[in-house]
Amino acid sequence: MKLIEAAGLEKTYAEGATPVRALAGVSLSLEAGDFVAVMGPSGCGKSTLLHCLGGLDRPDAGTVRLGDEELTRLNDEALTLVRRRRIGFVFQFFNLVPVMSALENVALPLTLDGLSDAQAQERAKKWLEKLGLAERMHHLPDQLSGGQQQRVAIARALVTEPVLVLADEPTGNLDSKSADDIARLLRQLSDEHQRTILMVTHDPRIAANARRLVFLKDGVMVDDQRIGAGATSAVRSQLEALS
Amino acid sequence: MSVRHAVLGLLHQRARHGYELQAALAALSPENWDVKPAQIYATLERLADAGLVREQRGTQVAGPQRRPYELTSEGLTELRSWFSVPVKSSLHRDEFFLKLMLSILPPASSPQGSSRVHSPYQVLHIQRSSLYRDLHELIGQRQDAQLRGALAEELQLEQIVMHVEADLRWLELIEGRLDEMAKKLPTEPAPRPRGRPRKTPSESEGD
Ligand SMILES: Nc1ncnc2c1ncn2[C@@H]1O[C@H](COP(=O)(O)OP(=O)(O)O)[C@@H](O)[C@H]1O
Ligand SMILES: [Mg+2]
Repeated sequence: MKLIEAAGLEKTYAEGATPVRALAGVSLSLEAGDFVAVMGPSGCGKSTLLHCLGGLDRPDAGTVRLGDEELTRLNDEALTLVRRRRIGFVFQFFNLVPVMSALENVALPLTLDGLSDAQAQERAKKWLEKLGLAERMHHLPDQLSGGQQQRVAIARALVTEPVLVLADEPTGNLDSKSADDIARLLRQLSDEHQRTILMVTHDPRIAANARRLVFLKDGVMVDDQRIGAGATSAVRSQLEALS
Repeated sequence: MSVRHAVLGLLHQRARHGYELQAALAALSPENWDVKPAQIYATLERLADAGLVREQRGTQVAGPQRRPYELTSEGLTELRSWFSVPVKSSLHRDEFFLKLMLSILPPASSPQGSSRVHSPYQVLHIQRSSLYRDLHELIGQRQDAQLRGALAEELQLEQIVMHVEADLRWLELIEGRLDEMAKKLPTEPAPRPRGRPRKTPSESEGD
């Protein structure tokens, strides 16, 4: 079943001197459990696509359906609820509240949604433990490394048990080792926790963790390929030689 | 490297003589690819035996001059299947480059092959898909090795990962410069036929 289905998305930014066509008719759907990387040169519309899929922005034309809800028809209030409860966002800059501990940051979406502090923190604690941050729960963001801060941000995105995780350059601000770790974490979430994930990146090594690649160019989807299975015989024999 | 497929690709574009093939190949291919005339003639002979090329029918040729070779439909099938598989590894860059250059050539104008077998974008797509499938597998294995604490294995895998990554970046670079490549297609030097020269163009091309 399609978890999210976008059809004919168009978006033009008209604020500047010359209007910019960020999306020129993009259709994309994700199966439940899919892990998709969106790639393409800077300015090709990746973030705009992610924003439209996640209800952070409205397309000028086209529709976005998440499960049985058509996001493009919802009013602002209903859209905010969908965003808060059903979609988890991860961004390049971790956007943690600097004066709150890791635990409080992760619990925040739940308390905003009306849960008691105790209940919210209990669920937050579970995700922090799963992501290997049990020891760091009471640290403030600036006492954590970049990679650890991004883990906290991912825990925060997951604590509401969203059906869809949207990540925009989640490793863009990290050193290569931490970037690999975060990419592996996303892959694990997809493999072991069956999350549906769409990740924007321009880094082939990060993208290769996904099971499907979508390429955008000038606001148009130019390629869509599955990479989840079937390495070439050349690489298989190299791998066999190692083991 | 595949002289065989280079010949098929060039004959798909248009019928050519052996000496023209040599000039076209030299213009097309990286400099380090030195193909001797004897190799071209031997390849043509083998391809003709296999029914993939034949001497062009219906052209009248004056004197001792041979007819040009053309692709048969079996030859076209072989060329298509060659284009549709990715080149196996970075050890075979020349072969990939050959596919790319042949795909950039202006489409054939002859009646038997009036369209492109593969566009350069298809060639890049096939190669990139294959590299990404490799990379996906390699990264999974490397992470596995890392979790098991198998450091030597992890580092060896990292080396293969870096190679595949470099190839992917190289493809990106090529894709960005395809238009430029199409504009700068090497021109084939006008070949000088061996033996007795043709008298006049109209005479040698008469039907
Ligand atoms: N809020 C905005 N106002 C005006 N132009 C924008 C805005 N957001 C994005 N753009 C333009 O739209 C195009 C696509 O942007 P974006 O989706 O951010 O690309 P990417 O994430 O692939 O780098 C770019 O040319 C960008 O400059
Ligand atoms: Mg962006």
